[in-house]
Amino acid sequence: MTSSLAISPLRALLALGTALALCGSAAWAHQDAAGTKVAHGAQAATAPAGGGARPAPARKPRPQLGSGVAFAPDGALWLAGVDLQGRMFVQSAPVPAEGGWRWTPPRILDTGGDAISADGENRPKLVFGPQGTVLVAYTQPLAKPNTGYVRLLRSTDGGKTFAAPVTVHADRQVITHRFESLGFDAKGVLHTVWIDKRDLEAAPKVGNKPNYRGAAIYRNTSSDGGATFGPDIKVADHSCECCRIALGQGADGELRAMWRHVFQPNVRDHAIAVLRAGTPGAAAPGVATPGEPVRATFDDWRVDACPHHGPGLAAAEDGFHTVWFGIRQQGEEKVAGVRYGRLQADGTPRPDTVRMLPDDRAEHADVAAQGQRVAVVWRSTDGMTSTLKAWLSADGGQTFQVRTLDSVQGENDFPRLVQSGQRMVVVWRNAEEVKVHDIRF
Amino acid sequence: MTFGSKQQRSADRERPVGRRGVLAASMALALSAWGGPALAQAQAGRKLRVTLNSVVHFDETTWARLVDKGPRPAAYIFTTTFCPNCPDAFEKLRTFVMDSHRPVELVVVLMDVDGPKALEHAHHYTGATRLYTFHGFEPAIRQSVDPKWPNVTPYMVLLGRDGSVQRSIGVPEPAMLKKWLP
Repeated sequence: MTSSLAISPLRALLALGTALALCGSAAWAHQDAAGTKVAHGAQAATAPAGGGARPAPARKPRPQLGSGVAFAPDGALWLAGVDLQGRMFVQSAPVPAEGGWRWTPPRILDTGGDAISADGENRPKLVFGPQGTVLVAYTQPLAKPNTGYVRLLRSTDGGKTFAAPVTVHADRQVITHRFESLGFDAKGVLHTVWIDKRDLEAAPKVGNKPNYRGAAIYRNTSSDGGATFGPDIKVADHSCECCRIALGQGADGELRAMWRHVFQPNVRDHAIAVLRAGTPGAAAPGVATPGEPVRATFDDWRVDACPHHGPGLAAAEDGFHTVWFGIRQQGEEKVAGVRYGRLQADGTPRPDTVRMLPDDRAEHADVAAQGQRVAVVWRSTDGMTSTLKAWLSADGGQTFQVRTLDSVQGENDFPRLVQSGQRMVVVWRNAEEVKVHDIRF
Repeated sequence: MTFGSKQQRSADRERPVGRRGVLAASMALALSAWGGPALAQAQAGRKLRVTLNSVVHFDETTWARLVDKGPRPAAYIFTTTFCPNCPDAFEKLRTFVMDSHRPVELVVVLMDVDGPKALEHAHHYTGATRLYTFHGFEPAIRQSVDPKWPNVTPYMVLLGRDGSVQRSIGVPEPAMLKKWLP
């Protein structure tokens, strides 16, 4: 009681100060935006802050153009994306008898009101499976920043109708489950892999920070085309936090996942692992067991930063083709860029095949291969103009020829390569349309 | 147009706020309402760090103006909402600035969100003197800052009083910081 009385004046003063401050906060915001110098925390510089200050006018929301593309079994090209209202849609383009690909009008899918992440490296994915299965996966961002659930829309009638979305992973903490990728292996088993922060959250803290590098890669499998899922299984600790995961099916029919990893102490190179179901060592028959990850790139890029730039992966006749972004020390110089290289079947690199793409502005490259034909595509942006470029090889990646395929002004997605048999196309969405370019070697 | 939100504050981590601190904070908050943030800063000294509650747009023309006419010395931290390394890098830079006892503009530029969404992330950068958000085509704005910037964050640019411009992915090296604030 005595104590309570003693601090009453203090509380009153605090309340008064807080109330006055809250009353004045609107005026404060106005002053700030008008360019008046502000000084919180760090001491403000003495020069006027008006150099770039400009009141913020109302703006259009930035379009979310990140899309998933795939060929349907009948050869039609499909796209899943998000429209300006944030709604998931699919549209398709039948195989052209002559002329170009013509898209059907977008068809809105019911996602039960989910918010959908569809920007840059985190975009909807579209996959066709056995027996008329069509899957659309996406990250549903949750209220807390950088958190999300991996959600799945499933069709069993070739995409005519889709069931209500389900959450793919068993863990339901409001944490990161994002940047999903999914695909079927040659046996028809569906593999889903994503970036997950449950181990980061559970790690002991040093000070107020978890003692854990990066995030983790988790996965599960479904043997019934996405109707049910097995348990969440950790593929690897210490992945980078916000780069896409590339999937590729090897000559053995098994899927590989390749992601940006944080090797000790802070080396942001790449790792690759086999996504294997029912192998020796599994806890029970049918329970998936991941292959041991191996290091796939050796840029030795040491940085505590976020590249937002995941790799691309495609099967070669004797291993894999891959593209990735990194910064590599070359002599006295740190050379940033997107590189191409070949991997052995076990995922280890072939250093003699590594080379820079012929464009120092290349970003978010994709790769596809069919036999000896290899295509690498990327976006190259110079101010408001973005250019779609391709690097094509007809000898298994030994030599390449560069081509410029297209250019566009303003907002656009990263280019997506997709193939079916001998056909290979690159799909490039911008704010106005979705362009398709057949790759001809 | 600005995007206002409730004012927030946070105490300095190293020095817990006792009774005197509460009084100082209260007085500072009150004074901030009447006299603006600079006065609040002067009263509260280093014990109070305030989260910004407004944003300013950053477009393809902003950087040239800042380099030409903006305050110096200054640090610009370009970041995204999904960059977990960025708040730590900002804090290291802020600590260096505070230890230097120099007047420095410490600016955060959020590249992927605007308006209220940007303000939701402002608490990660308590102590910043200004919060910008990208307004326009992100690659074009990025290239107006540095054509060779490969979209890795945090990307930091240090503008020295002597006109020097130094760039760093992640926290700048000590030699770079020393050159910036000798």
